[in-house]
Amino acid sequence: METVEREVVLPASPEEVWPAVSQSEQISAWFGADAQLDLRPGGRGVFRWGDGTERPVLVEEVEPPHRLAFRWLPFQRTAANEIVTLPATRVDITLEEVPEGTRLRVREQAAFSLGTEPARASGTLAPVGS
Amino acid sequence: MKRDPTDAIFSALADATRRQVIRALSEQGSATATGLASALPVTRQAVTKHLSVLAEAGLVTATRRGREKLYRISPQPLTGAVSWMADLGGRWDERLAALREHIASSKRRR
Repeated sequence: METVEREVVLPASPEEVWPAVSQSEQISAWFGADAQLDLRPGGRGVFRWGDGTERPVLVEEVEPPHRLAFRWLPFQRTAANEIVTLPATRVDITLEEVPEGTRLRVREQAAFSLGTEPARASGTLAPVGS
Repeated sequence: MKRDPTDAIFSALADATRRQVIRALSEQGSATATGLASALPVTRQAVTKHLSVLAEAGLVTATRRGREKLYRISPQPLTGAVSWMADLGGRWDERLAALREHIASSKRRR
């Protein structure tokens, strides 16, 4: 599966942008879905869309104010309470200070292409140092 | 015995060209293999082959129009999975535009 990459320059410092991409209430203001994230590596979360669809995520990396990564789990629940399988993908959000403010980059890619990648020191999916 | 439709969908969508075909079809609403081939960097024969895989997975439907078939994206319940795959980039475009607006308006409030 292809990788999707996008970037945007925001007129605020990384410290100012960080809450908007990491705090549940603020994410809900722009994401198109209500977010509830337990903001720590290994934390669970869920996104709820207006049509009743819910999709769980696993928080993988949290390095304020520069880096946030989470994994969409490979299913979602529809408003009719049906479970629909979807590809698991990993989302990496990075914030970099630039003269105009913050360059925010998003990369989303199929999680299975990362399957053999060892866990980073901040991750909890696999034993650290394995 | 029928194959699990979800498996058929995802194996059909595992191919980058077929995802381009789906995207082009969802943009154009309906199209013939010739029309799709002119919008994509592949031959009409290749598009026809991809379309038949997509049709087998239930992702597109074909109706005959003259000597050619007119294809369109299948209606629900498949469109959920399809649009999810095909429109990943589009959704990030929308989200980041909304984020930019969110940041700019919180700046104005400060």
